[in-house]
Amino acid sequence: MTKYLLNRLLRGLLSIMVVVAIVMILIYSCLDRNQIFASDSNYSHLKSNAKEIYKLQQWEKYGYLDYVPYADWLNSLLKTGEIDQDTYTSAVKFGDTAEDDSETVAQYVKLFTDEMEADGYEVERLPGQKQGRKYKEGGNPRLYAYKDVPLINRLFNYITGIFQVDNIHYVPEEVDIGERGLTFTLYDPLYTDPQTGEKKFSPAIIGNGTKNKYLLYFDDRFPYIHQNLLTIKLGSSYSISKDTDVFSIMTGAQGSQMRSEITYPTGYKEISADNLHSATYTSGSLSAGGAFLSARFTDDYTTVATYKAGLSKVGYSFVIGVISVLLAYVLAIPLGTLMALKKDKLIDKLGTIYIIFIIAVPSLAYIFLFKAIGRSIGLPGTFDMENPTWLMYVLPIISLALPSIANLMKWLRRYMIDQMNSDYVKFARSGGLSEGEIFRKHILKNAIIPIVHGIPAGVLSALIGAIITERVYSVPGAGRLLTNAINAYDNGVIVGMTLFYALLSVVSIILGDILISLVDPRISFVSKKR
Amino acid sequence: MEENKLINLDEFNMSDEELFSRVDHNSLDSEKITAPRYSYWQSVFRVFFRNKLNIVILAVLAVIIAFTYVYPAVIGYDADVDPYQNLLDPTAKHLSPSAALEKFGNHISWILGTGKSGESTFDAIWYGSSISISLALICAAINMTVGVVVGAIWGFSKKVDAVMMEVYNIIANVPYILLISVVVLIMSANFWSMVFALTVTGWLAIAYFIRTQVIIIRDREYNLASRCLGTPIFRIATKNILPFMTSVIVTLIATEIPSYISYEVFLSYIGMGLKDMSLGKLIEVAQDAMFTPGWQLEFWSPVAVASIITVVLYVVGQNLGDASDPRTHM
Repeated sequence: MTKYLLNRLLRGLLSIMVVVAIVMILIYSCLDRNQIFASDSNYSHLKSNAKEIYKLQQWEKYGYLDYVPYADWLNSLLKTGEIDQDTYTSAVKFGDTAEDDSETVAQYVKLFTDEMEADGYEVERLPGQKQGRKYKEGGNPRLYAYKDVPLINRLFNYITGIFQVDNIHYVPEEVDIGERGLTFTLYDPLYTDPQTGEKKFSPAIIGNGTKNKYLLYFDDRFPYIHQNLLTIKLGSSYSISKDTDVFSIMTGAQGSQMRSEITYPTGYKEISADNLHSATYTSGSLSAGGAFLSARFTDDYTTVATYKAGLSKVGYSFVIGVISVLLAYVLAIPLGTLMALKKDKLIDKLGTIYIIFIIAVPSLAYIFLFKAIGRSIGLPGTFDMENPTWLMYVLPIISLALPSIANLMKWLRRYMIDQMNSDYVKFARSGGLSEGEIFRKHILKNAIIPIVHGIPAGVLSALIGAIITERVYSVPGAGRLLTNAINAYDNGVIVGMTLFYALLSVVSIILGDILISLVDPRISFVSKKR
Repeated sequence: MEENKLINLDEFNMSDEELFSRVDHNSLDSEKITAPRYSYWQSVFRVFFRNKLNIVILAVLAVIIAFTYVYPAVIGYDADVDPYQNLLDPTAKHLSPSAALEKFGNHISWILGTGKSGESTFDAIWYGSSISISLALICAAINMTVGVVVGAIWGFSKKVDAVMMEVYNIIANVPYILLISVVVLIMSANFWSMVFALTVTGWLAIAYFIRTQVIIIRDREYNLASRCLGTPIFRIATKNILPFMTSVIVTLIATEIPSYISYEVFLSYIGMGLKDMSLGKLIEVAQDAMFTPGWQLEFWSPVAVASIITVVLYVVGQNLGDASDPRTHM
């Protein structure tokens, strides 16, 4: 069984990779790449040559192409020692056009062109744009080479970049940061009062030379134990939340800041929302930050996140989704059984009308209908993160639960009616069992097996969120992320979300298969040896 | 009774040779089984029309089709002109039915009031439903044809099955919205690119469903017997299995057509739908009006029409599916 499941999981992972590759082809090759600048204000402010360079820099950042400016190439030659500082200084100053170049420059430009073109790069030279004697804004001459990243490389870089393990060589080797290493302490220094020296028992792993200062720590927030050792990167966003990773967009807390009195490493006390456990390294930040940072921090680990009052996007979607899934199963199983038991009676007909209503009416229409009904009886129709009440969850949960109840009822009724004519039911009836007993103890147990298969999918898809429901009730959930990303041409988010969706779907099918083989011992995925 | 009267053969005054002739044993005739004449589709419609509810629903469907396809042609609705004819008249916008009838005179166009550019809500709805229903019918036709044919091959051949299962696992995981939006972005959001977007992978789910059904029936004893007798695969598919699946296919069509209308509404709502003023687009445009007192009709009337169309198509399809199951013909 384990071998079989491992095989399934591996095949699933392989198909996820193919899915990611297909999505990459769709968005990187089929779509116009200028679209990503549609809502970029930096881009619209730039002019002339600078605009072209900005485009190439951003495309490199978002994985479209590999961009090498002439100066960077010369710099790499300088580092390897092929040229000396003087040659570098004279060769780097290229003229407005090729005719203006000095002899040294012309020689190195030719070398650059030959070398790059041999590697399949395209070399381009933008002549200087002058207005009188001075360059126009952004009109400096430019010389660079670029090459589209092949799909295989892009896919490989993406997949190898998903898991990032923090290590003590994160800070560049030339920076003197003291002794690099990990320290394990039983008394977290953040809980130690610098004046009184009062300690609190709280184990933590603290790194020096790593990206995150705290690699493992405890605090008073769910799930109480936190780690920064392994970070998941699903690709960075471009327009939805600039330069933030998709995984942090999905799981990062939202809402207003939660302030409390905290003690900084220097002993300075302040009412602030800073989460000191989240401190990450920013090179030279302590000296650049001036008196403000030096009053609070003692090292370059100064970039901190803030505590926020709300849940994450996935958090809100999950709370609403899971409650509605539970509600759906709790209500649909007895109702579906009742419909099968009273087949062709009034209750069956009412149930059928409800099922037809949900299947046939566009989901948008009935969600608006529920919203209109809910508001008329005084339930809040929109979600308010700042003033949370339990009532605001009611309408989204009902809107999500009612269609899944209809779906479950429809199939449960169908399966039970199919089972009603089986021999074992006739046998049970001839044995004198009551109808209720037959339905509860015999038919339900057999009919529920296909229904059980859907439970993991139901629970896991709650993480994805619901597009229409969340939009209608303005829930700050994860459901709208993909559609927003598509509308904003945010490629990083699209790829990241696709990977997330595909992973959830593969895992939920496997979990569903495991679950039915537990519920029904007759189902086995491995052929038994005889 | 006349028939029960015994006939005395002596009354004819004929010899036995004249009265009787020898009937040869015919091995071909003995194979034939006498049964009442049975026409499949005739029985389907007999069962379908036995339920009086179906006649009512078909009448509603006829009215809808008439309004959708005949009414815009009769009044000469022009999608480029009519929605904007009152654009410059601020007193013509967001009118209630009574105010609109008073302003523009008693014409059927104004019985649902006017929308935000002063257009007739009633006319816009029927023009919109002609786009939505056409889209649903064309998509359903393409997807069902491709899906049933591919699904049948997929179900029959074990080699094809191994390949197609992997293809299915992969394509089913590509977000549908992403695929549609990429197609729409590349090809612009017109009617035929939307048809392409909805059908480019839409047939796969149907093919998968058909494949499962074929696999269930494929290995039944009567097909095994048929194969042993040397029936070619093609004849097994068309004569042994297809009749079994007619009701499944009809039921599938019944759920498919309304689902495309719903899906079109959904896509328009999230901003990836058609540019034409389809039902979905009308609902999307009017969603702000829903929360303004006095304007709700602009939102609820396209929603109501979309719901009526989908419910009617669904119920007709379901009942036709029930009727096309030969077990109900007894």
